[in-house]
Amino acid sequence: MIEVKDLSKHYGENMALSHVSFSAGENTVIGFLGPNGAGKSTTMNIITGYISASEGSVEIGGHNTLDEPNEAKKLIGYLPEMPPLYTDMTVEEYLNFVYELKKVTLPRKKHLKEICALTRITNVSGRLIANLSKGYRQRVGIAQALIGNPPVLILDEPTVGLDPKQIIDVRNLIKGLGKNHTVILSSHILPEVQAVADRIIIINKGSLVANGTPYELEHGEHKGEQKTVVRLEGNPDEVGKTLRDIQGVLSVSNYGQKEPGVYEYEIDSRTGADPRRSVFGIASKRGWPILSMSNNEFSLEDVFLRLTGSTYISDNADASYVKDGARK
Amino acid sequence: MSAIAKKELREYFFSPIGYVILGVMLLLFGFFYSQVLFSQTTDLIPYIYNMLLSWIMVILIPLITMRTFSEEIRTKSDQGLLTAPVGVFSIVFGKFLAAFLMFAISLTATLIPAVIITFFSSPDWPRILCTYIGVLLCGIALIAIGVFISSLTQSQIVAAIATFGISMLLMLIGNLGNNVSASLQNVLNWISFQSRFQPFSNGILNIGSLVYFVSVAAVFLFLTARKLESRRWN
Repeated sequence: MIEVKDLSKHYGENMALSHVSFSAGENTVIGFLGPNGAGKSTTMNIITGYISASEGSVEIGGHNTLDEPNEAKKLIGYLPEMPPLYTDMTVEEYLNFVYELKKVTLPRKKHLKEICALTRITNVSGRLIANLSKGYRQRVGIAQALIGNPPVLILDEPTVGLDPKQIIDVRNLIKGLGKNHTVILSSHILPEVQAVADRIIIINKGSLVANGTPYELEHGEHKGEQKTVVRLEGNPDEVGKTLRDIQGVLSVSNYGQKEPGVYEYEIDSRTGADPRRSVFGIASKRGWPILSMSNNEFSLEDVFLRLTGSTYISDNADASYVKDGARK
Repeated sequence: MSAIAKKELREYFFSPIGYVILGVMLLLFGFFYSQVLFSQTTDLIPYIYNMLLSWIMVILIPLITMRTFSEEIRTKSDQGLLTAPVGVFSIVFGKFLAAFLMFAISLTATLIPAVIITFFSSPDWPRILCTYIGVLLCGIALIAIGVFISSLTQSQIVAAIATFGISMLLMLIGNLGNNVSASLQNVLNWISFQSRFQPFSNGILNIGSLVYFVSVAAVFLFLTARKLESRRWN
């Protein structure tokens, strides 16, 4: 349904997007994940025809967005990061305007009623958009994307600014839409994407760095590795150096001071080379009290942090502090 | 296109701007028209229409066109338009059409005093109507310029002031050339909206002026569409 080939976008010398390629089949939810400024919105804006790519091509349902823009746009419902609402209109007036703008041929009253019910905005349909809460505005934004029942939905940060209950509502809505639409959902929040996406594309600094199911990403990137998180008291330089010398340990990361004199370390090691006993032995011999220690599976969060450069892992190097505070 | 034109027209009348435009227009017109009543002659009616409409136009059109694109760009609602299955020319023409209709509606309101006077006297209707046609044609060109300027900035105020300045210049440019060569004077007169409008106020339907105003409008609508397109590539 969506075919993105070798997409690049540069603003002068600044490369916003570099040779991004991926495809999406029917009835699937794709999570577009990346830190702020990674190029997610740029990619979405190019797919929807809002901006043009410097290189590469996009096909929607077999229609090239440059050669047949209107045919391609007919297949897309788009919710930009800032919903394109007219605040001096009521919800009903606005949806009628979008219905006419998109030249939809479905029975108007029935179609708009269904969309209002689906997005749960029926009770506010007579109110001015200016008077709606952020959550309702976001839902109206989703409703306008659904008008015309396009097979492709592109939702840029659809839950930004919503309260937890609204986030769950929107997630459930997207899950439901994914049963009969191709949905591309962007977010910089991992649990959000994890909760709804069948496939995750991770983008960083304009480049695609991972593309796969959550399972594939979790088990592919760290295949054959495990991690141990330990908090102990002692000189961090000395501790880091000693832990790295344990057999089977691949890298040690220092997450910083958690209590006075107590530091947290992540020890990545080969599967089967459980370092906990060795850590205990060394710590007791050196007089470094262990306050906590646990073995953990690598999560998607670890994959995300490693791939997007906010990684703290320093292979065969000096211990470093986590940059973005993701685990503080 | 019709969806955009309807939405724009609705915005004029569901926000204060449409009523402010109508109010200012009628207030100014009523004030000057009272001169006709005091002079107790209908000979002044075409003169009042000629003077007033041409200058009201320069004040009103910036107010009508200032928000057409600048507001959309500022609030990013243009994303909804540019990602809908509609061409940029339809978007531009829809907005232009709504602005023109707003202008035409406010002009029509100024005919009311002349209609009333017709019951008691006989104003020079052919000349008045010809002036109206001239104003509408001149308006088409100035509205297209205003729409183009609005597509260049996010600020409505900047758009209004720039449109006002350029409209004034185009109206007065024929009077600027007293100290210039005859050939340049001819060029300035050829460009001048005031001199192009003059035949209409004399009761002459001038085809050359008609083509000129329509051409200026077409060029600026084309430029507006290109400007919107260019935002995709920047």
